[in-house]
Amino acid sequence: MANLWQKFTKHDGNGWWNLPHTGASELNPDFEGPIGGAWFGNMWRSLTHGNVAHAGVGFYWLVGLILAVITLVEVWLFTIETLGGWFIPLLLILSLGKFVGVVAYFMHLRFDDRMFTYFFASAMIVGILIFSLLLLLMKYANQPVLF
Amino acid sequence: MTQAAATEHHEPVENTSTGLNSRKLMMWAFLASDVMFFGAFIATYLVYRGKSLVGPYPSEILDIPITSVSTFVLLMSSLAMVLGLHYVKEGQKNKATLWILAVVVLGAIFMGFQFFEFKTFAHEGLTPRTNIFGTTFFILTGIHGAHVTIGVIWMAILAYGSHKGSLRPDSSLDLEIAGLYWHFVDIVWIVIFTVIYLISASDGPPLGVGPTIVH
Repeated sequence: MANLWQKFTKHDGNGWWNLPHTGASELNPDFEGPIGGAWFGNMWRSLTHGNVAHAGVGFYWLVGLILAVITLVEVWLFTIETLGGWFIPLLLILSLGKFVGVVAYFMHLRFDDRMFTYFFASAMIVGILIFSLLLLLMKYANQPVLF
Repeated sequence: MTQAAATEHHEPVENTSTGLNSRKLMMWAFLASDVMFFGAFIATYLVYRGKSLVGPYPSEILDIPITSVSTFVLLMSSLAMVLGLHYVKEGQKNKATLWILAVVVLGAIFMGFQFFEFKTFAHEGLTPRTNIFGTTFFILTGIHGAHVTIGVIWMAILAYGSHKGSLRPDSSLDLEIAGLYWHFVDIVWIVIFTVIYLISASDGPPLGVGPTIVH
């Protein structure tokens, strides 16, 4: 079990959570599939084009299908009235999943130079920080709603 | 991997200080600035959420099933975009043109949904001047709609270029950059759909204020 976990997350120190070290049109390193990890990567490689850095048509269809299913689940959750306090966190997690799916695979950040990821992630972090502070300020500083 | 294979597949090194293509980097810089742009409007919407003193309120007017369909359409346009880019890189002109055209059609359908929604809301009494919900809602979704419109025009031009044969594997960066823009418009909608439509859909009048009286 521990071995499987190692393979999934830490193969050569470049598992699922890290971007590959290869450029966009460079061959993937051995044991590095489009979604990373050794055994998982190998499975996906058989579904897609094989040993190429940019995924194949089958992989893109699969990502599209997963995004569509997540949207369906979101709408289904909307119809459930017993979720209570879980409703918003669940929706935000699903929404984050879709966001990451599009950015990582459709926008090719997973396969592209890391500089682009740092660029975009920096803006996201600064943006989320600024606007979260704004929301906190408006909530706790007793600001008038309108003028 | 042999040395020859590695050399053959290696991405061309750009003659820039970063080693990256300047046009692509510029698009990422623009998208980073657009994150702030949309973030400001989304934060403004959240700040004034539930503060409207008169209706119509979100619970009375938002139509989740219809918006879910338009969200699905926009998601599928992203899939069409990435397939179009794939076929351009492979030099399959007809398939590439077809998928880029699919992006144009799906984007236009999304715009149609938004036009229908705006028209319905106006008919039911919600305009940007009606209440704070109307103001923040129309500004945010309207600006997103403007982004989609620009994207559709851009894609239509690229579809024409692909049909004429000017969009080739060696110029696929043109489509890749446009694709980055298009996918960004999609991820902004993912956030808008969750925050405005799903989370706010049950928002009614604030405490002490009655529901809208329909005459």
